Amino acid sequence: MERMMEIGRLILAEAKALGADEAVCRISESEKREFNVDGGEFSLMRTLFDRGVSITVLKAHHKGTVHINRFDEEAVRAAVRDCLAAAESAEPDEAWEFAPGPDEREFRKGAPECDTEALFARTKELMADIAERHPKILMEQLICDHNARRSVFMTSGGIVYRTVAGSYAFMLMYSGHDGDKATSFYGSEVTVDNLDRPVIECAFIDRELGAIERQLDTETLEGKFVGPVILAPGALGEIVLNTVAGNFLSDGSLITGTSIWKDKLGEQVADPRLTVSLTPSAPWAVCGESFSGEGYLSEDFDVIRDGVLQSFMLSQYGANKTGGRRALNQSGNVCIPAGDTPLAEIIRGIDRGALVMRFSGGQPAPSGEFSGVAKNSFLIENGEIRTALSETMISGSVPDMLTHIRAISSELYRDGNVSVPYIAFDGVTISGK
Amino acid sequence: MLQDVISSARADFPAGASSELRGQLSRSRQVVLLGGNVVANQRADISGVSARVNRGGSYGFSSMAELSPEAARMVMRAAADNAAFMAGHAPRGQAALPRIEHRVLPLAADISDVAQSDYIDFARAVDSYITAHCPELVSRTVVAMEDSMEKMIFTSDATDAHFIAPRSYIYVMMTALTPEGAPVELFDVFGGEGTFGVSFTDAASLSAGIDRLYERLMQKRAGVYADAGLKAVILGGHMTGMLSHEAVGHTVEADLVLGGSVAGPNLGKRVASELVTMTDFAHTAFGARCPLPVFTDDEGTPAEDAPLIENGILTGYMNSRETAARFGMKPCGNARAWSFSDEPLIRMRNTAVHPGRDKLEDMIASVDDGYYLLSSTNGQADTTGEFMFGVSLGYEIKHGKLGRALLDTTISGVAFDMLKTVDMVSDTVEWESSGFCGKKQPMPVGMGGPALRCKVMIGGR
Repeated sequence: MERMMEIGRLILAEAKALGADEAVCRISESEKREFNVDGGEFSLMRTLFDRGVSITVLKAHHKGTVHINRFDEEAVRAAVRDCLAAAESAEPDEAWEFAPGPDEREFRKGAPECDTEALFARTKELMADIAERHPKILMEQLICDHNARRSVFMTSGGIVYRTVAGSYAFMLMYSGHDGDKATSFYGSEVTVDNLDRPVIECAFIDRELGAIERQLDTETLEGKFVGPVILAPGALGEIVLNTVAGNFLSDGSLITGTSIWKDKLGEQVADPRLTVSLTPSAPWAVCGESFSGEGYLSEDFDVIRDGVLQSFMLSQYGANKTGGRRALNQSGNVCIPAGDTPLAEIIRGIDRGALVMRFSGGQPAPSGEFSGVAKNSFLIENGEIRTALSETMISGSVPDMLTHIRAISSELYRDGNVSVPYIAFDGVTISGK
Repeated sequence: MLQDVISSARADFPAGASSELRGQLSRSRQVVLLGGNVVANQRADISGVSARVNRGGSYGFSSMAELSPEAARMVMRAAADNAAFMAGHAPRGQAALPRIEHRVLPLAADISDVAQSDYIDFARAVDSYITAHCPELVSRTVVAMEDSMEKMIFTSDATDAHFIAPRSYIYVMMTALTPEGAPVELFDVFGGEGTFGVSFTDAASLSAGIDRLYERLMQKRAGVYADAGLKAVILGGHMTGMLSHEAVGHTVEADLVLGGSVAGPNLGKRVASELVTMTDFAHTAFGARCPLPVFTDDEGTPAEDAPLIENGILTGYMNSRETAARFGMKPCGNARAWSFSDEPLIRMRNTAVHPGRDKLEDMIASVDDGYYLLSSTNGQADTTGEFMFGVSLGYEIKHGKLGRALLDTTISGVAFDMLKTVDMVSDTVEWESSGFCGKKQPMPVGMGGPALRCKVMIGGR
């Protein structure tokens, strides 16, 4: 850590000597241990020793950024010179701003030390559990890793944040097979800060493996209808949350003015039962963000509370460009509180609709309109899951869906990054051949 | 240029194993102008060394962000230790891989670099042209970028090589409003293989392409929704390239075949009409240099073309040395790694459908009620071959003539079903190379093909 502190001090001094008004740097070291399973067999073990130096400078409101992965003094000095040269060639923009200092803190998060034998044992156990509980699953690829990170974030304004963090992640890519029959592939994942529990019991891994096994026999929908769609957590993120964050609330959409919610602060944009927050300090958020890239300490905040838009997701730069307010964190730790209806009861209340686990679609339009294939999905008829679907498309409008929420499940999906329920929306077009 | 400071670690190649040592420098430069403002202005130079050891089918890998003899020896030892750990804890007992003739392929060219101001000046010139000539836009973005890699590979039982792979692009994204006030977007990409300073010397050379993009966006903002359902369509060459890559290419990557892809039970069978032939080209296609040529892969296998479909019959997969041995096929140089800290994976290079004999005008004239689809925003496909592509630019075809532009839509289908409906193939191939293929690691790839007449599901509103 002291070596990284020295490099940070060198960068700030060099930048000042070269005429920078402000400088920000992050120096990091990481060590990753990883096991890979391919086609159901252990195939590879990796150990990666990495490091990084990121430097950003402002000179008369001109900004430049450089990344290198060397720690030697000659390379670091050259990178600072490069960064100043990049800034001097950029156009000035008075919106760039970093957090004021001074402030000095240490953050220790997750599991910084790797227990390699325990990681291998949990990985092997996961393979055995899947073989026993879900014999029709073929693991295309399983990646299990531990990532240990140490970093120093320093600014010319006197901020010094030291971080030591580590976490385990399990990423599964698989499909169901039975003779010549095969399902679409599906990915499950979880990030954890300990290996206390069998992996199959984490997040929705067991539930998702079981659902994929039930998708070996599919039907193609005839014709099309408008009806309710239950979005499982993964599809909820792909269709709704990414669109809201990227198209309606991000720096880019608000700076360019293409956001259809640019004038909606304080207004009802969703059903009153919906609250969406970003909560990096939540206990379920593994190694949640401590501070933003601009150096602001992260605080939890509500994006939507009781259906009313509370905040954009602006950086300080975006806030300065638009006259808005900086969001209190830049994390992706989405928290949507559970509803009061079990998923099974939501399904029982649907005459004809779909349960969608994954969405394969074009990037939603700036307006929030989308259309794409409902992957790993089921047809619901007369309050029951009737069959898995193939070649079925869904289309709709995210802003319309948010005001037509049918139910929010009492089950919560927690994968170490988000805590979200299933949500059922009315008015989605479901079309087959 | 990378200096060889790592080859001394060959002394640590463990006996009885297949080993690789790689030194790599990856360079990226990016400038983003959003509405004329520089919102990103970045340079990155990332270097390091990695080693991989295969002992009885169990691979160990290690990397370090340092190019030095000490780092090379350290990762060599760590990779050997990891291979031994895997061979001990989860033995596979595979035979040694067939050797590849040892050759040394020296560096053919060096990479030149230009100042960051060159990227900014060029992007500004493009942006100025847009502001002067495209009055109806509500938003515009210009990106000037380069990513390049230089690799030095030493192997225990294959070819040694030193090579570069530079590419550079200008992206132009435009947004306008429909009469109802809804934003619609369109983008285009200019560039290809080569460093920025060599590829982009005169912003005026992009003017015609920008004019065409703006004209198409003006048509699109007055466009209509596609009528959903199974339709006769002409896929433009870029769409054919996307189909080749996403819907067919991935399913014939041998590691995905072992993971259960649809190509497993279809080898040797008809998967497309006899008009369809598809190849993953190494460096030369149809008598010209490929968009992103590959001469050696990161396992030290000299690159050659990998035939995939011949006259509609699935004839081969893309392989690493290991999967080639398992399937009894020849490795063609598809095992490629993105960063110094990445292990080689089976990746596509320049995947394309071969051209046919039809003229595009005749193909359009032959469609009574359908669509001509030109550009895709993105594409995803399943190991079952089921695919979905976003369509960002398309036109109606009514009675053999192009009609109104389309608003954003999607097409979907199952590749090996849809390819059987191909009944006309144009005589001109279009290539695209600006994107990244995602598969654990990103990877630059080329994709292309002729226009195809076929039937496909199109999404409506």
